[in-house]
Amino acid sequence: MEYYDSEVWTEKYRPKKFEEVVGQEEIVKRIKALVQSNNIPHLLLAGPAGTGKSTLALIIVKELFGESWRENYLELNASDERGIDVVRQKVKDFARTRAIGNVPFKVIFLDEADALTREAQQALRRTMENYTSTCRFILSCNYSSKILDPIQSRTVVFRFQLLEKKDIKKRIDLISEREGLIISSSAFDALYEASEGDCRRVINLLQATASISPNITPDLVNTIVSKAKPSDIRIVLDYALSGDFANSREKLLDIMLKESISGQDIIKAIQKEVWNLKIDNFLKVKLTEKIGEIEFRLVEGSDEFIQLESLIASFVLAGEGKVLSNGKVEEVRSETYKGGI
Amino acid sequence: MKENLPWTEKYRAQFFSDIKGQDIAIQRIKEFLKNFPKKKSLILHGPCGVGKTSLVHATSNETESELLELNASDFRDKKKIADIVGNSIQQKSLFKKSKLILIDEVDGISTTKDRGGLTELLGLIEKSYFPILITANNIWDKKFNALRTKSEMVQLKEIDYKIILEVLRKVSTKENLNVSADVLTAISVKSKGDMRAALNDLQIISQLNETSIINPNEINERNKEESIFTALQHIFKNSNIDDSMIKVFDEVDMSIDELFLWIEENIPLEYKGEELAKAYNALSKADVFRGRIYRKQHWRFLVYEYFLLSGGIAASKDYNKTGFTSYKKPSRILKIWLNNQRTMKKKSICVKYAKHTHISIKRAMRDFLLIKIILQNEKIRKELKLDEEEINYLNKLD
Repeated sequence: MEYYDSEVWTEKYRPKKFEEVVGQEEIVKRIKALVQSNNIPHLLLAGPAGTGKSTLALIIVKELFGESWRENYLELNASDERGIDVVRQKVKDFARTRAIGNVPFKVIFLDEADALTREAQQALRRTMENYTSTCRFILSCNYSSKILDPIQSRTVVFRFQLLEKKDIKKRIDLISEREGLIISSSAFDALYEASEGDCRRVINLLQATASISPNITPDLVNTIVSKAKPSDIRIVLDYALSGDFANSREKLLDIMLKESISGQDIIKAIQKEVWNLKIDNFLKVKLTEKIGEIEFRLVEGSDEFIQLESLIASFVLAGEGKVLSNGKVEEVRSETYKGGI
Repeated sequence: MKENLPWTEKYRAQFFSDIKGQDIAIQRIKEFLKNFPKKKSLILHGPCGVGKTSLVHATSNETESELLELNASDFRDKKKIADIVGNSIQQKSLFKKSKLILIDEVDGISTTKDRGGLTELLGLIEKSYFPILITANNIWDKKFNALRTKSEMVQLKEIDYKIILEVLRKVSTKENLNVSADVLTAISVKSKGDMRAALNDLQIISQLNETSIINPNEINERNKEESIFTALQHIFKNSNIDDSMIKVFDEVDMSIDELFLWIEENIPLEYKGEELAKAYNALSKADVFRGRIYRKQHWRFLVYEYFLLSGGIAASKDYNKTGFTSYKKPSRILKIWLNNQRTMKKKSICVKYAKHTHISIKRAMRDFLLIKIILQNEKIRKELKLDEEEINYLNKLD
């Protein structure tokens, strides 16, 4: 097996050939067949992070173009581009010239395409049509449901599954052998546990851990995991439930700014945390309903922070055993309310 | 205790010698006191944060007088005023030789809401045995005609930025701040003569640490619009939704986005518990309409936005509120901006890392806590072509 010339393990050990890919056997088989015919359709690779979407896109272009892949390949990330116009301009500039070599088209990989709005996707659809003769698009996304039907119908959709533990183990074993690491099986369990099936994350965790010692123990892994863990949203909720809105708000802004966490991710974390709070069950139900409402408003509205502030104001109220529904304040069965946090 | 005070209070001038850049005004106050009761009241007027209230406090200290303070909101009715001030005017001060009466922010008196308040004040001036010091931003409204003729007028000018700079320097030494001279100068210049604003900015910046890397050219221009305070007061103090509530933003020269920020900042100063939740609920709904306008360009929704921001917030309480609230200028945008300045290096590192490893910059930013451990490796730093500043940034972490 050949390795990329990199010290970043996610790159160094990125599979270079179809045979090296772990998991996704069906997908690999079918894509390989397409590539061998030297003519691929537009592709949509859908699936969770760290399951091999970008890796496969890279393998495709390397198989197609060989040495000259860099000239024929454009990688864009929809969540980083400042709007569809930028994407279109880049596509236009890239697609203007003919492909070099035997393959009659170039390849554009648009990562995280589900970050595009509906309108942007409409525009993308037209762009895809305009350049079909000279370009193939490979789109990737976490959820195919977020991609417009007209785009889905113009692409061949591949659904990537979360990698199984045994597949990830294969990768980890290979790396530790090459890097001279000693990993106990419980240390591997700890790595896997923390990665949620995301192969990139596993490898990053492994490299970070190995930077301390080549002898990977569960304790060492957990030390790194807790270092890399974003701040606890719990503290924001605790402040709110105890009636301290000012500190709750400040901590919230602090976490969002310092750790670059989006409002969507914050609300996800809050929703998960509610079940761990020591509050009345009925209050948990009511609060979860509220969180859902706020998540909806967050998608519809324009200022994530205002929406989250409104949510923590509801937590302040919940701390008093009350909820706001339909503009009216309701007492929540105060006889069973346990109070406090 | 003093640690928790806003710096504008902590460092409020105690004596005339502490007040910088208002020598003429001090001279005029001294003359007024000497000639008292030739004129019984003195109006200190001028822009925000130039030291009007500080001058009054210093006068009270210098003359060892007891200071009796009244805010505009205390003028709700005739009776209240008469109860408080009427007594003190007649009685001699128990502990000190003399008394001073301070009517702060007299232009906050509304002729409709505080019916009789102004007349009452004029009567007070007539009867008072003690000097009355009045502060105002704008005294030229015709409703103050009578008050102006009765009073000595002292106009305060905006403070020269060099004087503000001098004060900021002293404060940052006392607070052990590590703020570069450039930043202090920038704050002074941008404050446009408003000492309070400058001190507030300095305090916000100091709370955010790493104060030396701020680009001085970009500190927000201060918005000196006083009309927003009047509007906020109207919304937060009244619960009745009438014509004046609907039109409350008419006089405010601000974009609706700015209004959002002002209201958002000040809700917790006025509301607690149920009111707080209701008010933020209204704000959150207003924001939903804002989002829909952006996306659908359906501008009629503005009506609902404005209504929720005024009536929606006002109706979050059951009763009118009294008392004076000192509203704060929005700090979130400044915090975001400062954070961006601080994380500029983090961002540029993430841009390089993201490109190198085929992920989005956003994801790199999110995973930075893990990535930065990996970036301890010298070879990887070289491979990513991190520059000296980026490496310095990484070395300073943890």
